[in-house]
Amino acid sequence: MSKKKQTKTIQELETPKVRMTPDSSAVETNPDKQYDEERVYVQARSRMPENQLFDFAVYEPQAAERTGYSEYSYWKSVWANFLKKKPAVIMSFVFVFLLLFTFVALAISKFDVYNLRIDNSLAFTAPNGTYWFGTDNLGRDYWCQVWYATRTSILLSVSVSLGEIILGVIIGLLWGYVRALDRFFTELYNFINNIPMIIYMTLIALMVGKSVFIIGVALILVSWLGTARNIRNLVFMYRDREYNLASRCLGTPLYRVLMKNIFPYLVSVIVLRLALAIPSIIAYETTLTYLGLMSIDLPSLGILLRNARSYFLDYPYLLVFPAAIVSIITITFYLVGNAFSDACDSRNHV
Amino acid sequence: MSETVMKTPGIDFDARAKQILSSAPILSATDVEVQFTLRGKKLNAIRRCSLDVYDGETLAIVGESGSGKSVFTKLFVGMLDKNGTITNGSIMYDGKDLAQIKDENEWRKIRGRKIAMVTQDPMTSLNPLKTIGRQIQEAIEVNQGLHGAEAKKETLRMLEAVGIPDPERRYKQYPHEFSGGMRQRVVIAIAVACKPQILICDEPTTALDVTIQAQILDLIRRLQKEQGMTIIYITHDLGVVANVADRVAVMYAGQIVEIGMINEIFFDARHPYAWALLSALPQLGVKGEKLPAIEGTPPNLFNVIHGDSFAPRNKRALNIDFLEEPPMFDVSPTHQAKTWMLDPRAPHVEQPDTIRRLGDAHRNTAGYKAQPLDYSGREPLVEVKNMEVTFGTGKKKFVAVNDVNFTIYRGETFSLVGESGSGKTTIGRAIVRINPITNGEVLYKGRRISGKISRELDNEVIRNMQMIFQDPMASLNERAKVDYIIAEGLINQHNKQGFKQDYKSKEELSDRIQNALEEVGLLPEFSSRFPHEFSGGQRQRIGIARSLIMQPEFIVADEPISALDVSIRAQVLNLLNDLKAKRGLTYLFIAHDLSVVRFISDRIAVIHKGVIVELAESEELFHHPLHPYTKALLSAVPNPNPYLERAKKLLVYDPSVHDYSVDKPVWSEIAPGHFVYGNERELDGYRKELNQ
Repeated sequence: MSKKKQTKTIQELETPKVRMTPDSSAVETNPDKQYDEERVYVQARSRMPENQLFDFAVYEPQAAERTGYSEYSYWKSVWANFLKKKPAVIMSFVFVFLLLFTFVALAISKFDVYNLRIDNSLAFTAPNGTYWFGTDNLGRDYWCQVWYATRTSILLSVSVSLGEIILGVIIGLLWGYVRALDRFFTELYNFINNIPMIIYMTLIALMVGKSVFIIGVALILVSWLGTARNIRNLVFMYRDREYNLASRCLGTPLYRVLMKNIFPYLVSVIVLRLALAIPSIIAYETTLTYLGLMSIDLPSLGILLRNARSYFLDYPYLLVFPAAIVSIITITFYLVGNAFSDACDSRNHV
Repeated sequence: MSETVMKTPGIDFDARAKQILSSAPILSATDVEVQFTLRGKKLNAIRRCSLDVYDGETLAIVGESGSGKSVFTKLFVGMLDKNGTITNGSIMYDGKDLAQIKDENEWRKIRGRKIAMVTQDPMTSLNPLKTIGRQIQEAIEVNQGLHGAEAKKETLRMLEAVGIPDPERRYKQYPHEFSGGMRQRVVIAIAVACKPQILICDEPTTALDVTIQAQILDLIRRLQKEQGMTIIYITHDLGVVANVADRVAVMYAGQIVEIGMINEIFFDARHPYAWALLSALPQLGVKGEKLPAIEGTPPNLFNVIHGDSFAPRNKRALNIDFLEEPPMFDVSPTHQAKTWMLDPRAPHVEQPDTIRRLGDAHRNTAGYKAQPLDYSGREPLVEVKNMEVTFGTGKKKFVAVNDVNFTIYRGETFSLVGESGSGKTTIGRAIVRINPITNGEVLYKGRRISGKISRELDNEVIRNMQMIFQDPMASLNERAKVDYIIAEGLINQHNKQGFKQDYKSKEELSDRIQNALEEVGLLPEFSSRFPHEFSGGQRQRIGIARSLIMQPEFIVADEPISALDVSIRAQVLNLLNDLKAKRGLTYLFIAHDLSVVRFISDRIAVIHKGVIVELAESEELFHHPLHPYTKALLSAVPNPNPYLERAKKLLVYDPSVHDYSVDKPVWSEIAPGHFVYGNERELDGYRKELNQ
């Protein structure tokens, strides 16, 4: 190779010689727009005169800085990943249907749930054309009761678990991030956690009252423990990361550090805990009403199950209908919770 | 070849070349292509890469992170990640095509026994629950067929061979009882125990301190000689390459762009990327001048790359570079480069000056005479007085920083250099008040800012003192968009009393974000993206923009470039220097690498185990180091000139040379501006040394 070629000065280099146009056909064959249009010179070769091929090209600092934009969006990926889990998707449809049906079922029913007639002569009527789910021990229509109970239970469990998660997450974040609070919350946790939950509930029911509201609040006040502890342990993983130190240098207030720097990383865990809390609250409600620690004026799934316990050997349908609905709710939240929490974990966004 | 090379013979690389290339290659990769599937997209990690490895040679593969150097060599031991596939090419070794082996049992016959690997992080490659002896012995039992006492004897011999003293005792210890360097020796022992033909060292010294690094490289070299191994180094550190390699392959965007004997690559490189890589070395920088940085960022391998992958970043790219991929041109029988520059039709472009500077990277030091520094007229900005930081209490008490004193004057770059665990980061963090200090105080413009301070002063300090962090991957919140990350400080100070930089409206805020992005050389459109979209250098610049948006006057830069690639380092150093000139910033620059610090700093303090042992003006320190630790550190500094690097003599610092039992050491100004830590007898010695 001879070295006596033309040597160019910098000034010459900076004057553009050829401006190449993007190749539109190449862009069209890439509907995903994997790269910027300006950079597509695929077939421009044929358009460039041979003698200009070895001229200096225009240097564009902007182009050098440009990286491929993957158009990644966190929530889009979450959604796409969630949709891949077929059982969870199907079960969430089933659940939505169930929830809507509680309204439809009561509307199409032949009886008014707020005005059920007690008629001993109709007691334990098996399901038939009039009494779709049969009647209970007092001769009341069971269809109305089951669907009304479903609605009550879902409402109760969703609001209690939301309360539990919100309280648990707030306390967990503070507990984990603020070192000065660690001792206090640890002792509080140990204190509450060492006494069985059922004793608390009994004491509250006997001393304060048995109404749905009181028991609901009581449940929230006890069950945040697990969530808070879980969140606290996770916060430890993120607390000393450098970006948190940077926020401290910048004087970012505590609430914003927690909300912007820590909370987004915990979303998948929180979603999972929420989903698992709902069936467990239904189970608690069932237990508490079964033990007579909660009094509900209108039917809930717990009450129906409690009533059914005396008769289900003779009249199994009294147990089967509410039990089936409890199972559907539990399985749904278990599957959906797991699937959604997996989808929220950015490590799975591959 | 340049003249300077001729002047320093010493090692005959040409003879070595003949010796290496006399035999047929033992491993030969041809047109290898590797694709990864990531989020439903195809990433072309290796794009038609060919490489021959010869018996007994030391081959270094150099490249930035993401260039595919690790992926490529992992193919040789069948450790490709699950979402990757070899889509083309062959890797012939010992009559077999490694690219075709699917069976894990077959791999086991090769991996470890024929081709072994030493990975970067000795912390993770050892099992913490097994004793060191057990782990080495296992490898020996499996691969050499020895058992019982025989195997143990061999294990002890191996421990001794890799330079671990007292092997009998060490045999029974667990990994946590070993230091980083010792652990890496153990990992090497395990790898070498099977007497492999080829040893792949993937960044074997990156996680280690400079002084340890040199020892490990020596060890590998010795073992290679003893066992006649072929060694493939994967590294981004050209100092390491200069020290060990016979041949060098430069990788960029999944391809080998240039390959040749070490002297051919270091002094006669032809690919613009190789030029850029070499000229960006801070060691070759001239103080006060810009480093020739490689602008921009490596290409995204999700995209289809047309032509020369380096073209968009190459200021002297040809038109054809954008259109057609260049073939491999032969420069010499041992030297090939993949660039259109070598085409007969191409214009001639001179090699950059900086590469010629490589020859005289050992600048003449004899005639240097220190100018007495005049700091009398300068305003002290930050003063550290008797700072002590301890962690833990009682028996677990650990003194991280012990009675440290220094003053940083307005407008200077003050560097703090030390090995890992020396307390340098702790000092930086104590100044910006992330770590509380146990004793002493920190003054800012004469006012105490350590301990409890008023809210007004607290806000003032936040506005005027900021920090740049080491790891750009960890220092940005992955779940926040770039605009929030950059504006965080402004939002925090919004509507607070006495904040001059406050913004009036949302529009003004977004303007300020755009300006900040432009100032650090990023595109305004980046503000709505998430950090994971960016390369390390871009992320570091986002971090810099974040700390500069409030227009502080003092910046603590905690190893801001040590986690970055060579080509990116120069960018960031230039940026820091530009900003200093433009805004009159003052820096506390924390680093472990003395060569980087020399280029950027006005004064340097050397710290060892929480004590500052020496503090002097930068050139003064390089020319007249007094404390034995400073001397040891200076002797270990990697030199990018292969001849000088191989000729360098390592000094090992032994703390037991100090006898502080009677005569207590003091922090004393031995010459104007030159402080040393020592007792009276030592100081006398230092004075004599200085006057010679």
